[in-house]
Amino acid sequence: MTRQKKNSWAIFWAVLAMLYFFVPMLGTFIFSLRMKRGVLSLMAYQSVLADRHFLESFRYSATMGIITVTISVLLLLPTVYWIYIKAPWMRAAMDIITILPFVVPVIVLVFGLIRTFGRPPFQLTLTTFGTDILMTAGYVIITMPYMYRAIDVGMRSVDVRTLTEAAQSLGSNWLQVLTQVILPNLRIAVLSGALICFATVMGELILGDFLVRPALGSYMAGVGRSKAYEPAALAIISYGLTWLCLGLIQYFSRGRESGQLTGR
Amino acid sequence: MAQLELIHISKSFSGTTAVQDFNLSVDTGEFISFLGPSGCGKTTTLRMVAGFEIPTSGIVKLDNQDLTQLPANKRNMGMVFQSYALFPNMTAAQNVGYGLKVAGKPKTEIEGRVNEMLDLIQMRDFAKRYPNQLSGGQQQRLALARALAIHPRVLLLDEPLSALDAKIRLELRQEIRRIQQHLGITTIYVTHDQEEALSLSDRIVVMRRGVIQQVGTPQQIYNNPSGDFVAEFVGHINLLPVEVDQPQQGIVRLGRQLIRAGQFEHLNGRPVRLAVRPEELKSGFVEGANNLTGKIESVTYLGAIVRIRVDVDGYLVSLDMFNERALNIPAVGQPYAIHFPVGACWLTNGEKE
Repeated sequence: MTRQKKNSWAIFWAVLAMLYFFVPMLGTFIFSLRMKRGVLSLMAYQSVLADRHFLESFRYSATMGIITVTISVLLLLPTVYWIYIKAPWMRAAMDIITILPFVVPVIVLVFGLIRTFGRPPFQLTLTTFGTDILMTAGYVIITMPYMYRAIDVGMRSVDVRTLTEAAQSLGSNWLQVLTQVILPNLRIAVLSGALICFATVMGELILGDFLVRPALGSYMAGVGRSKAYEPAALAIISYGLTWLCLGLIQYFSRGRESGQLTGR
Repeated sequence: MAQLELIHISKSFSGTTAVQDFNLSVDTGEFISFLGPSGCGKTTTLRMVAGFEIPTSGIVKLDNQDLTQLPANKRNMGMVFQSYALFPNMTAAQNVGYGLKVAGKPKTEIEGRVNEMLDLIQMRDFAKRYPNQLSGGQQQRLALARALAIHPRVLLLDEPLSALDAKIRLELRQEIRRIQQHLGITTIYVTHDQEEALSLSDRIVVMRRGVIQQVGTPQQIYNNPSGDFVAEFVGHINLLPVEVDQPQQGIVRLGRQLIRAGQFEHLNGRPVRLAVRPEELKSGFVEGANNLTGKIESVTYLGAIVRIRVDVDGYLVSLDMFNERALNIPAVGQPYAIHFPVGACWLTNGEKE
């Protein structure tokens, strides 16, 4: 009796939460189809996709996303691995350091970057290439918590130390251990981190705005200020993109189970 | 001739000594076991041989070459871990061939060697399976094949059977010995299981708190333990607190009963214990032997043997009997006479620890 009562409450709250989430989305979606008076059409989507600025900013953010992911993996994978093998006592400190991007507002980060690297001797903001370097650096920092956690969880799930020692006893050097043994076993973790990072970069607004670069986030905000139906269409597109990323993570994680797991 | 030499090896971890003045020389093709309880330093010593730990002091020599500072990946030693440590992303064949691939061997040579190794462990049919598709025993055999594939100079095994169930453990134990003898490879085996060490080894190194207690053949370790620790750790033993009664005749007293102790040395009034293995004791009275009488305290079945504990004037004495069909098992509380040969017991100094 009590159990049944508990279950119905659980269902009630779950339904309420889903309504809270899905009703505005449904509203946005229907609104995005109403650009043409009196009928439901995909006109707003056509208008968005036909906009040269949309494609430009999409391409720019996607490129930035890929660069950010590459740098994050190259930076964090060896670092986290090194901490696991040589300095496990540093893990607590790393947990705190990697949460800092959540604590320090992005706007503070941007001003810090501009004030430090926009001045001599760096003067990176003088050229678009220099500014893009700053953008990438900012993205790497903003996405660090996601990437670090993903790699950390991956390392925890395989016995990194013993696998390393096994590979070393068979003659591997550090680079071979990392690329042939550790990385293939962290493929899913790295991929999950990469997709989350990518989605974050695609939606990031403040860096692009303040460094005046054509990022997708800035474009969406701009459209939101000047148009009515297109922002709704853009919101749905960006939802779709995020969900695609999540779907890919799920898909690859599931594929893992049958092929390989830990050897323990 | 000594192939592997450990000379005055010590290892400390932030002030705590894990291994102290360890000296050992291992002959080519010899099977050596490091035996001791948890924390005795046996794994640390093995890891220093493997190159995963650098000794705080001392020298590791292999074929007269000083390896002390040489990294693990340059030592050419095969290592088998308790947790198997197979690479989950590689098939059985890829795991076995990994070391050869890293060494840059040609593909045909790798293939040949992998097949040879898989045949050796009788797992040719499992070549394409991933580690998670194999049982624990199969995984450990594979780990052994992987370690042997690189033609290592020394094979190191770190409690390789601890994670397996009893039956598989026994089978794999025999297989390890068979393969080791077949290849004639120098092997160091770390274990806390005295039965494993006794059944596998040419020599056993018994360790305690980072210090070697005794080095010897299984027979020497079992029959002539260097001290109470070795006597108690390896096999079962009765260590009975006795009083010296007639030092000249070599007679001691357990409660009110007299025992002739075979080896009677330097007692000088110190506390003395009489050591005798349970299998040396027999039931009944025999002229010329040490005879004791008491009451049955408990009877325990251990499968092949039955362990009987007899209360002799307040002291418990264990004896082991083969569980034969004709065995007349005594009842608890029943009066019981036991005997053992004079030469089967010895006296030790010191209090029970």
